[in-house]
Amino acid sequence: MKRLLLFVLLFFSACTEKLPVVDDFGNTHYNLVNQNNQPVAFPDIVKGKIVVMNYIFTNCPDICPLSTNNIRLIQQQLKKEKIENVQFVSLSFDPEFDTPAVLTKFAEIHNLDLSNWMFLTGDKSVTDAIIKKVGVLAVPNDSTVFKDGRKIYYYVHTDRIQLSDTEGKIRKNYKGSTINVEEIVRDIKGLL
Amino acid sequence: MNKVFLLIAAITFSSVNLFSQPITNHQSLITVKDVWARPGAKNANSAIYFVVQNNSSKADTILGAKSKFAEIVEVHESFKRDNDRMGMRQVKFVAVAANSKLEFKPGGFHIMLINLYKDIKTGSSLDATLNFKFAGKIKVKAVVRDMPGM
Repeated sequence: MKRLLLFVLLFFSACTEKLPVVDDFGNTHYNLVNQNNQPVAFPDIVKGKIVVMNYIFTNCPDICPLSTNNIRLIQQQLKKEKIENVQFVSLSFDPEFDTPAVLTKFAEIHNLDLSNWMFLTGDKSVTDAIIKKVGVLAVPNDSTVFKDGRKIYYYVHTDRIQLSDTEGKIRKNYKGSTINVEEIVRDIKGLL
Repeated sequence: MNKVFLLIAAITFSSVNLFSQPITNHQSLITVKDVWARPGAKNANSAIYFVVQNNSSKADTILGAKSKFAEIVEVHESFKRDNDRMGMRQVKFVAVAANSKLEFKPGGFHIMLINLYKDIKTGSSLDATLNFKFAGKIKVKAVVRDMPGM
């Protein structure tokens, strides 16, 4: 009986355990633009909100769509549970291709709900600084050259969805393409 | 002269017959099903996924694909590097073992459509042709949809 009680106590304490701080955007400020080409000061614009963020490039045909789809599933689940004050962010690490117009079209073609989801792009030096800050790697690996000379790159990149608290502190990183939606929803509830 | 001509003709016709018959039989033993593609915007990319069933006792190989919906169509695979990094690369061929099933799926093999000529939207469909080493060309129609679970 005592063992059972101990197990129950341990189980519930594990469930309610606070997520540690993995990293912190702290006082850093980055000037970006959103999918509507509006200037965005990041992370200032999302301060006060729990943030679910992934790092993508739209020419990625396979892994980034999986990660983006998982963000959509998280968004849908939170909506279903009427959990608010969560902002979703997708940052492109290929801003030279991923212009605001390209990001808008990407969201449109995938029927994404942008009511609490923003796509960010900007100067390459800025997006590089952000991914460096959070330990995301994105290295051009392969490319396709078209007849007209245009070239697009395919990146080897960190497959990540990241959860930040209302103060901009990164609390947990997940594998974006295979994330357990229930797990992150539970973690979000723990940050409310 | 006539004898030589007849001999060449006989060899030629028997060769055609020899080669064409197994191909026809083999093709009927390869089935491609559950074909779908991601939505994609004009000038962007998409990918086609499917399940290949090889009911033959002979292995086959997917050598490539074609589609009028994109400027470039290639066989690609996603791969894992280190713990949490993913990449994608072109592959020259994909073997389909005898009496086996192979799935082209997100995070694995896929037919990559590079530089779409037009928007391909959810609910529409697109045609493509898969090129097998022995089974030859197999036409498929992909339903455009988002990920499962949507």
